[in-house]
Amino acid sequence: MWDALIITPFINTLLFIYNIVGQNFGIAIILFTLLIRLITHPLMVKQIKGAQAMQELQKNEKWIKIQEKYKGDREKLAQEQMALYKELGINPFASCLPTLIQLPIIFGLYQAIISALASTPLDLLRLIRHIYPGLLQVESLIPLNSRFLWMDLGQPERLFIPGLSFGIPVLVVVVVITTYVQGKLIATPSANPKDQTAAMSNMMNLYMPIFMGYLAYTLASGLALYFVASNLIGILQYAMLGKVNWGNVFPFLNKQPAPAGSGGKKSYSK
Amino acid sequence: MKNTKILLIGLFLLGAVLLTSCGAPLSGSSWPGVSSNGDAVYVAYMQHVYAIRAADGSMIWRFPEKAGRQMFFAAPVLADDQLLVGDYENVLHSLDPNSGVEKWIFTQAQADWIASPLVVGDVILAPNADHFLYALSKNGSLLWKFETGRALWAQPVSDGEFVYQASMDHKVYAINLRTGQELWSLDVGGAVIYSPTLDAEEGTLYLTTLARNLMAINTQDGSIRWQRQFEGGLWTQPALHDGRLYMGDLQGTVYAISTKDGAEIWTQKVDQPVTGKPTVLDSRVIFPTEDGSLIAMTLEGERLWSRTFEGKLYTGPVVIGDRLAVGIAGGKEFLKMVSLDGQDLWTFVPPK
Repeated sequence: MWDALIITPFINTLLFIYNIVGQNFGIAIILFTLLIRLITHPLMVKQIKGAQAMQELQKNEKWIKIQEKYKGDREKLAQEQMALYKELGINPFASCLPTLIQLPIIFGLYQAIISALASTPLDLLRLIRHIYPGLLQVESLIPLNSRFLWMDLGQPERLFIPGLSFGIPVLVVVVVITTYVQGKLIATPSANPKDQTAAMSNMMNLYMPIFMGYLAYTLASGLALYFVASNLIGILQYAMLGKVNWGNVFPFLNKQPAPAGSGGKKSYSK
Repeated sequence: MKNTKILLIGLFLLGAVLLTSCGAPLSGSSWPGVSSNGDAVYVAYMQHVYAIRAADGSMIWRFPEKAGRQMFFAAPVLADDQLLVGDYENVLHSLDPNSGVEKWIFTQAQADWIASPLVVGDVILAPNADHFLYALSKNGSLLWKFETGRALWAQPVSDGEFVYQASMDHKVYAINLRTGQELWSLDVGGAVIYSPTLDAEEGTLYLTTLARNLMAINTQDGSIRWQRQFEGGLWTQPALHDGRLYMGDLQGTVYAISTKDGAEIWTQKVDQPVTGKPTVLDSRVIFPTEDGSLIAMTLEGERLWSRTFEGKLYTGPVVIGDRLAVGIAGGKEFLKMVSLDGQDLWTFVPPK
């Protein structure tokens, strides 16, 4: 079921792109990531809107009063919270449901890339069975050209420089940086010090780049390339939606002259 | 707050384990490589190479004693006083066949050793997935190396003067054994997974390709003597016996084919994907299937017996006197010894 609905179509799409871009697997991964991001774009918009609504709720005076009033009674607080959601027309699942729907697609994409990079006989036999014979010709397709720039996309990436006895994991550094930058760019500063969502978001911004860097270091570089492409496209998507806080990464953008009578900083939050 | 932190770290760790395990070479990468010298059976599977007594299935030694990152799948090759086996960490090992003690290692290759090496006289010919065929002396020093276009997954064959190497780059190469110079190369129209079969007397090389072709190639000049296209995919090496080639396809048909012109002598449906090289004995041929069966037939295609194992078979059994050693992928057990009529003799259980 999973194979027939997700993996097989993904593999065939990926290999179809690979074929039409002159059998370049690196370009195929980038274009395939772009395609998947475009298809899931409406879900992402919903997720952003849902998250924004939840963020705004933290500043809502009524919500702050309710929290104060029922801080010792969790059950009552939950009831009042739900009532407030209803009153303001907020769907508490609006931010996480699109993410949950996207998860199988992300896992499918991951598995499709891993499957297509078949580097052992049995992996190859499994891959051949996924290919639609009417769409692609196995004999001309196999083996895939897994070379892209200095990388073998089926192996963890290392750049070997003459004179150095070890390889430098360049792509790992790029994955860590792009993941960190993406996290920082889309984070919205919170005025409420008790805002748990903001605290969680800060923690994610710290752990996620390390986690992604670890994966990029240990797994096939085809996946690291996917992470980089996905991060960059993600930043672009957020920027197009006007949800990027450049001041989070480039603090000098925040150093605008303060208006007379105001001591606060101007935020670029949108 | 503290709980959230723990939950997040837990989720990351779980994700890391899930994703990294999906990418790591597990048991699904390949099948057990089996060879024998009559007294001992040598098996490369997963994290160890095992030496097992052929008489009763007890273990003589295993290498390495403690499992590490190395994964072994290519059948070990016995060459006088050494056992050669490559791993999936780019290292070719020479072991003492009696004790399993490492004699030397060759570390200049850059990728997995998927195929077994071939030993011709005093030269070790070792194909690697880094596209190179390495020629080594018996003490592991590099004599020459030959580059092809893609990974090498097939064991080479040799007539003593030239070595014939099939590559995933759709080509077969004839290379001078002493100098490493190319004599000829031929584009066969598809990747070659299994080793070619050489008829040195006739000067013909038989091989199957992913383009569903069986080809007979003249070893003198690389010209095609004949070729034959099949309906089903071919994941097999043809077995040569008495002017016939025995093989099967992934659609579940087995064939006896004339070596003269590729004409079909007989076919039988077995309704299971036939994978790997059939084993030919004097009066019978045994086909391995992906569904885990051994199907024995007379040389004229009459079914004698069949036997199903738990797991999958990707290569034919190894004949050891009047017994068959069967390497099984993805099952509870990975090595069984059966009689010539398929009855269990022993099962190897590796010690913990």
